[in-house]
Amino acid sequence: MAGRDVVFRVKRYRPESGGKPAYQEYRIPYRDDMVVLDGLNYIKDYIDPTLTYRWSCRMGICGSCGANVNGTPRLTCGTYIRDVHKGTVTVDPLANFPILKDLVVDFDDFLTKLASVTPYIVREESGDLSKEFVQYPEDVEAYRQQSLCINCMLCYAACPVFGASPEFVGPAASALALRYIRDTRDEGADQRLARLNTKSGIWECTFVGECSVVCPKDVDPAAAIQTLKFLATMRHMRRLLMPGAPSR
Amino acid sequence: MAREYPWRRRAGWWLQNRRYLAFQLRELGGVVSAIYGLIFLNLLRTLRAGESAYTAFVDMMRTPPILYVNLVLFALLVWHAVTWFMLIGKSQPIQFTERPLPWRAVFGVNVLLWIGVSGAVVYLIFGGF
Ligand code: SF4
Ligand code: FES
Repeated sequence: MAGRDVVFRVKRYRPESGGKPAYQEYRIPYRDDMVVLDGLNYIKDYIDPTLTYRWSCRMGICGSCGANVNGTPRLTCGTYIRDVHKGTVTVDPLANFPILKDLVVDFDDFLTKLASVTPYIVREESGDLSKEFVQYPEDVEAYRQQSLCINCMLCYAACPVFGASPEFVGPAASALALRYIRDTRDEGADQRLARLNTKSGIWECTFVGECSVVCPKDVDPAAAIQTLKFLATMRHMRRLLMPGAPSR
Repeated sequence: MAREYPWRRRAGWWLQNRRYLAFQLRELGGVVSAIYGLIFLNLLRTLRAGESAYTAFVDMMRTPPILYVNLVLFALLVWHAVTWFMLIGKSQPIQFTERPLPWRAVFGVNVLLWIGVSGAVVYLIFGGF
């Protein structure tokens, strides 16, 4: 273990005590191959079993281990301690969400927003659902980038617009809406654009761009929102100029 | 049911990293562009009011404090324009081939066009450089 130590400053919140969240410091040994999640696990296993945080896959897939590490939203399983510590690693719960306990935040609001953009393939019920819907590699390529989203919420924690206006539908839900709109099998673009073309929709976005900077999967939700603005405008103009025409 | 601790945004959030700061300055540049619009409208108003009103306004605009303020406003305005040019290629990827043009190329073309148009406007107003 080469005798190297690092101090973890971890934000603690105990809902039963009713107090304010406060930092607690833990000095732990570390190696160069340890990630921040390893540090938290070390604390839980050897120092303080009451520390509460989420994680599952340890490989950037499940999206559950997000936290603000030294002020920046990151996946703790994908962040090496050696890359972020200057003697201390400060771990806060993801910004912009209410805290349930320690590093665990409440995502219910996001799940409601996600549901509001119909994040699944929509087909006309009268259509023939028995036939195969062929997609070519270029069809998949059209939505591949947005489909990589793991719902980790780092983009929401980085978005100052969401911080100021919690009703904003936000980056990931928008990116996932675009993912389905771009899918050649889907027929739900109109209802999604109608949802997003509202006061709490894409027009809240002022293109800060930080969501795309912190996204661990290169989903680029900021660009997705700008594309949706264009699509929503086209839909609006079509409805204005050609009232009877199909919306897509 | 456990009590949640509500999120509160810190007043100085935009000092947290340089990208937030750059964004806030860009937004401030938007306000500045509106101030420039008002100055220009006032210039037109004084022009209509007569030569003495126009000269008084131009003389006031030439006083050192106003010039310094103008320099700061101009810097913010340029920042606003440059940062928006940086966003063009990112917000609407321009695609002629299989891959969209890199945003830097789109930015470069826009800046060149901007310089060209500004040069033409200066030429039209002053009849030469
Ligand atoms: S868009 Fe990126 S940062 Fe946002 S939830 Fe999806 S993977 Fe996470
Ligand atoms: S533990 Fe699954 S993404 Fe980090």
